[in-house]
Amino acid sequence: MSLKPKIALFQCQWCLYSPTDQEWVDSQLPENIHLIKTPCTGRINPLYVLNAVQGGADGVMISGCLPEQCHFKTGNMAARRQLEEFNDFLDYIGYEKSRMRFVWLDLQDRGIIQKRLAQFEKDLEALGQASNLVTRVKVAEGGQNA
Amino acid sequence: MPDLNAIKAEAKRLLAEGVVEVVVAFKPGDTPLHPQPAFFTNVDEVENLVYDGLCQNNLATFLTRLPKTKKVGMLVRGCENRSVNALVVEKQKSRENLYLVGIPCEGIIDWRKIVERAGEAVLAVNENNYVVEIETRDEHFTFSKNELLHDSCLRCVHPTPLSADILIGEALPEGNLAIARKAVEEFEAQTIEDKYAWFQKEAERCIRCYACREACPMCYCTECFVDHIEPRWTESGATPAGMQGWHIVRAFHQTARCTDCGACERACPMDIKMTYLTEKLNHDMINKYNFEAGLDTQTLPPFATVTLDDKNRFMA
Amino acid sequence: MNLILEKQALPGLLQSWREQYDVYVPQKMERFSHFMPLTEESVLVTGEPHNTRIPPKALFLPMTETLVKFTRFGGYEDAQQNVQPRVVFGIRPCDAQAIQLLDTSFIQEGYTDPLWLERREKTITIGLGCHQPCHNGFCTTVGYGPFNKSDLDALLTDLGDTYLVETLSEAGEACFQDLSPASDDIYEHALEIQQIAHDQMPVAFETENLKEKLEQNFNSKFWEEVSQSCLGCGVCTFLCPTCFCFDIVDETQRKQRVRNWDTCMFRTYSLEASGHNPRPSRVERTRQRLSHKFVYWLDQVNQIGCTGCGRCVRYCPVGIDIRAMLRQAQTLPFEVSHAV
Repeated sequence: MSLKPKIALFQCQWCLYSPTDQEWVDSQLPENIHLIKTPCTGRINPLYVLNAVQGGADGVMISGCLPEQCHFKTGNMAARRQLEEFNDFLDYIGYEKSRMRFVWLDLQDRGIIQKRLAQFEKDLEALGQASNLVTRVKVAEGGQNA
Repeated sequence: MPDLNAIKAEAKRLLAEGVVEVVVAFKPGDTPLHPQPAFFTNVDEVENLVYDGLCQNNLATFLTRLPKTKKVGMLVRGCENRSVNALVVEKQKSRENLYLVGIPCEGIIDWRKIVERAGEAVLAVNENNYVVEIETRDEHFTFSKNELLHDSCLRCVHPTPLSADILIGEALPEGNLAIARKAVEEFEAQTIEDKYAWFQKEAERCIRCYACREACPMCYCTECFVDHIEPRWTESGATPAGMQGWHIVRAFHQTARCTDCGACERACPMDIKMTYLTEKLNHDMINKYNFEAGLDTQTLPPFATVTLDDKNRFMA
Repeated sequence: MNLILEKQALPGLLQSWREQYDVYVPQKMERFSHFMPLTEESVLVTGEPHNTRIPPKALFLPMTETLVKFTRFGGYEDAQQNVQPRVVFGIRPCDAQAIQLLDTSFIQEGYTDPLWLERREKTITIGLGCHQPCHNGFCTTVGYGPFNKSDLDALLTDLGDTYLVETLSEAGEACFQDLSPASDDIYEHALEIQQIAHDQMPVAFETENLKEKLEQNFNSKFWEEVSQSCLGCGVCTFLCPTCFCFDIVDETQRKQRVRNWDTCMFRTYSLEASGHNPRPSRVERTRQRLSHKFVYWLDQVNQIGCTGCGRCVRYCPVGIDIRAMLRQAQTLPFEVSHAV
């Protein structure tokens, strides 16, 4: 793959708010990473993920707090159950399971997400560009891709 | 086949004694292949009640359309009973307002399989002891019922209603979960390209009439996600993105709620296969959480419950 | 002009049209037939005693079509339709009649739909009469028939090994110019077949005074009874050859304005921005569907808006039968109006 894989990063806002991570978000976020901040992983509707996939995301990363650390008590647990199943379901109809990855961060963690993203990027490069389920009209044809 | 007279007698009793205000069952259709769901409110009408293998709808879909406090009597088969239970779990109806007349189900005949074999000009269908006799304009056919059963019914696990107030006829043996799982496993074993090709081929015939949604007892949202204008969740038209989005999300919304009655597939005017999607989700729920929808009226589905036992799963 | 066409020669003839036209013929798609562009490998489906699952209106009013594309700086451009001249072969008379009915709606002075008009002008329709009466169809009841010639450029009658081709326009004649004329005997024979087919179609309901009865019983309990088991899906209307409602939507993610099929059976169809819905339940929606076909079409163009193709009867998931509904409507009370 010549271009870097496009990654949709769904990020819970509560575990990425240390100043160093914020600076990374504000000024150093690579172009191939589309960051979607959510109030909690529990807010991530499978439809959001589907939108990313249909829009041409080569990979989807979902990042939130560890169990028992959720700002809303159980948001991350609910998300885990639902999105994990959604991942399996998309695999069943053609979007490889390994294109979706979960990262659970400790509130004290610093700089972890960057490392995990780098690893994910490498793995996605090996997988190649996503084509299944990418059905949105391409930018060149008047559409808008992720 | 359960005794039709016994069903009628029970329905009459319910109405006469005022146990319920309406009995939801079937009446003869105007074409022999399509009996019609019917709502009986007085005893005299009940003579008109029919029940056979061609009654293809899941009557539970009408439950959420009737007023919540209305006392409803309903003819239920195994899958319908489970759908009703799932609706009770979701607080769409209270069990006290329901009287379920259970029928051990020998399977629902897919009328498309009849048309495929005998043509469209069907004049009469007689069903007796797992043998189906079909009278068409020019010919007479005899089939074994198994040959004509809908795919969902071939892998049915709970043919007998689990929590009916009265059971008419003998309870049937439970199906085998391993056999039920076979179709999903076979599909899963394909390459990712083949799986997508199949999904694409099926989804892209969709005309977005939403018969699957309306036929499904669990699709009772006042406003469906496809009807939202702002934000628009999926493309509105018959485009690949819109049609695939509809099929994915419709199925996923049924996770841990679907009872695999197959009403969606039988309602589809374009013969789109879709139970292979919900079956996958059903079996995942059994494997992961040991949960089947509608087995009782208390257990919440996995997505509505979270426990800290899930903790270990996070690190996977 | 009456011509004779050998059945064996048909595939070759269809292929020869491809030089000039895009040719659409009914072909097998899963378990039903569907109008698709003809290619070298196409297998023609003509023997079935019923019509395609999706009516050919879809060739003139696609399920989804782009009207406008938005450009970057607040501008827009019209979408290119790019319709080639085409021949639609094997269209059944009921479906062809439906297209004529739709013309009255789409082609009106001052309100002509340019997309519809372009497709209509560039299309030659060649009909295939129904010598085997289809089950559940009722074309003769609504005043049309299995060999109805309305709006066709040519009509074929199946005579066993050959077809009788009746050309009905210059364009139709041009398509069949190499054929030899049919003798009078053959023509007589064909007329006989046509008459037999016509007589075989049962009368499904009486149309006399139907309009008045439906009109006068607007608030009748009848509508509640017939709509009770209706699911509220769009099968009957989407598969109806004369239903033409559409919904214009801005697909902002695609930067396009599209129009999609829509149906009066959906809740959102009549839902107003205020939240008020003048047709709040399936009772009103069922009344709308029936009344449109059997009252409002008559008011507007003096034709029944149903061609009796029978699709809504065949594919309704709960077995609602429009014929039975209308038979029941015929039993409703009504007063003869004396208005001049």
